[in-house]
Amino acid sequence: MRHLLLGNEAIAYGALSAGVAVAAGYPGTPSSEIIETLLEYRDRFVQWASNEKTAVEIAYGAALAGARALAAMKHVGLNVAADPLHSAAYTGVVGGFLIVTADDPNMWSSQNEQDTRWYGLQSYIPVLEPSDPQEAFKMAKEGLMLSEALEHPVILRSVTRVSHVRAPVVVEPPAPPKFGKFARNVERYVLVPQNARRRKAEVLRRWDSFADLSSRFLSIEGDGEVVVVASGVGYLYAVEALERLRVKAAVVKVGMPVPLPKKLADVGAGEVVVVEEGDPVVEMQLRAMGVKTRGKIDGFFPKIGELTLRSVVEGISKALGLGVRLPDPPTPPLQPPPRPPYLCPGCPHMGTFYAFKIASAGQKVIWSGDIGCYTLGINTGQQDLATHMGSSLGLGMGIAVADREKLVVATVGDSTFYHAALPQLIDLKTKKVPLVLVVMDNEYTAMTGGQPSPSRSVPAERLAEAVGVKHYVIDPADLKRSVEIAKAAVADAKSGEPVVVVSRRPCTLEALRHARRSGFKPPKFYVVADKCRSCGICYNVLKCYAIAKLPDGKAWIDPSLCSGCSMCAQVCPYDAIKPTEPEKVGKWLELWSQA
Amino acid sequence: MTLARWLGRAAMAAGYDVKIAEVHGLSQRGGSVEVHVRLGDRVYGPVVSEGDADYVVAMEALEALRAFRYIGGNTVLVVNKRVIQIPGRYLDPEQVYKALQTYKNLRLVPAFDIAMKIGDPIYENSVLLGYLAKLLGVDERVDWLDERNRRAFDEGRRLASGDLQPSASSMAS
Repeated sequence: MRHLLLGNEAIAYGALSAGVAVAAGYPGTPSSEIIETLLEYRDRFVQWASNEKTAVEIAYGAALAGARALAAMKHVGLNVAADPLHSAAYTGVVGGFLIVTADDPNMWSSQNEQDTRWYGLQSYIPVLEPSDPQEAFKMAKEGLMLSEALEHPVILRSVTRVSHVRAPVVVEPPAPPKFGKFARNVERYVLVPQNARRRKAEVLRRWDSFADLSSRFLSIEGDGEVVVVASGVGYLYAVEALERLRVKAAVVKVGMPVPLPKKLADVGAGEVVVVEEGDPVVEMQLRAMGVKTRGKIDGFFPKIGELTLRSVVEGISKALGLGVRLPDPPTPPLQPPPRPPYLCPGCPHMGTFYAFKIASAGQKVIWSGDIGCYTLGINTGQQDLATHMGSSLGLGMGIAVADREKLVVATVGDSTFYHAALPQLIDLKTKKVPLVLVVMDNEYTAMTGGQPSPSRSVPAERLAEAVGVKHYVIDPADLKRSVEIAKAAVADAKSGEPVVVVSRRPCTLEALRHARRSGFKPPKFYVVADKCRSCGICYNVLKCYAIAKLPDGKAWIDPSLCSGCSMCAQVCPYDAIKPTEPEKVGKWLELWSQA
Repeated sequence: MTLARWLGRAAMAAGYDVKIAEVHGLSQRGGSVEVHVRLGDRVYGPVVSEGDADYVVAMEALEALRAFRYIGGNTVLVVNKRVIQIPGRYLDPEQVYKALQTYKNLRLVPAFDIAMKIGDPIYENSVLLGYLAKLLGVDERVDWLDERNRRAFDEGRRLASGDLQPSASSMAS
């Protein structure tokens, strides 16, 4: 039966058909749908972990105990899990252990581009790379079985254009979950130096055999004097580009780019064209085998971003000296302004940012930011950095101790707080670094689609309490009170005391979803034009996306965007913003807080 | 994305290969989002290349301008007659429509107005879906749509077949 599946769904079904019993992951675009799909299967242990390291550890432990296990994450998440990943190759596993990462070339939704295939080379773990959802299904299944057969972890590397492509996929039904039994093996599992050294020798022996095994995932299509080696989605672009260029070529499709099959050493006597997405991982290995290549290393294909049909057509043309250049794309008759993303209308983060902006007015503030919806605080000038999960508190502490004249306000979302800021919270206490940590708790992992966050079962203020850091809790929809407390927190930090402010209100999108389901229609707010004096506080300082500045400077609220949060009415100094149904406002905010 | 999925399902039912490329994440935060749908006997690459689209459907007029790079010789450009303003960058909608009308294969569809008549802007996508279904000659059953969405869908289909005259300006071709 063919289904129109997202690559990520196909990966989940592949793992199911291989009898996966334990799966864990941390949400992150473009990988989130893998675990989301698996969560529907209640006969297995499937979990959103608090971070990727935990996810990999759960799956790794399960595989040591003989279960078939999977861990899923985005490329940068594997950095967080890199420590157990490397050990997993040393100990090997008993059940199947598949690590799935979805890379995000072009950084559609990420802070950097990373090619997971490097991790395969570094950790001695073979990497499979599908080109489309059907292959993703197949490779997830085969990868898990192969891992179990080899007693070695296997990585499945996806990219945005596999994970987030929807295509017809023939799926097989789920196999019963294979759990296991842990058997002691101290020499193998306790990596004290004398054991680890023996394991390293074993890893190298295995690695050598993987290079032969890799041929199983190799296929050659067509023939001609030209030889193209292509991996993952690179294969799809290469086939299409050759067709456009009317070039007859032998296309060597690589399904396991790490390690490359040894027999590729004689893939071609002349120059071989290499098409791959990400870094030149296949190309470098080919060169190490003595193959002459034309790919990314010498700039035939761009080193940044995703492959495109254009870049592959022009790259192959350059590599073969064909001189083909595609015409420039048409330009629009009117250049539209860029449309950067904004915080959603009524986003609780909007209120939190507003409160701290007002409370810290006149101070030299460094807004130490983080990865999540609140990175969009960049629009109000309240994110001076956002480099990686946990950067807010980690880098914030470093900045605070280096530059003692400024006030650091670190802003982190709840999911990121639990993911990457807990050890830092302990350092905040033990080193007594004076700064304000704002936990922007919207009770969901909102940026990746609203996965649950641990905030309801482990409230951040209780952690602050346990650690012994002064803390406050605010409701960002109550701006007056939020500003007062933000002022108190700023004063604490100025006096040398670290302080945590938990700003709690559920994600607006979730609240609206709940309202729709329960049939409740939230009130809307509108501007009384006669009263509006064009001061701009609503559209310039609060900066709600639903509020437009009309040509005369007056505000106008788009009713189709307004979420009824009431924040604009609270900040308006002229009482010019009113609700359509005043009696509903309190009820709505109450319902919202329960979303 | 819903629109693309519907198209994909219809194409698959008709025996075609299909690939839909989505970029998730920022649409609900006011960012610009593109979804690419490719149909054929065998589809390789997942993304429509610049200058290669047969149809470009814009849910809003400024994004139609942004999507101009996909337009080639005979591309039909279907645009919802509506401007979603960008904060701080107000543009006169009439000026935007006028710019779009310089393109010969434009279909400016009053999907937003129709949706508002039905009662909620949320129905505008179903109007565009119906319009597109007619253009593509897809005769897909839409019983999975609820009553008001189906009304919107039918309105779109009627618009495309010329039963209902769209605004004169949109007929420039």
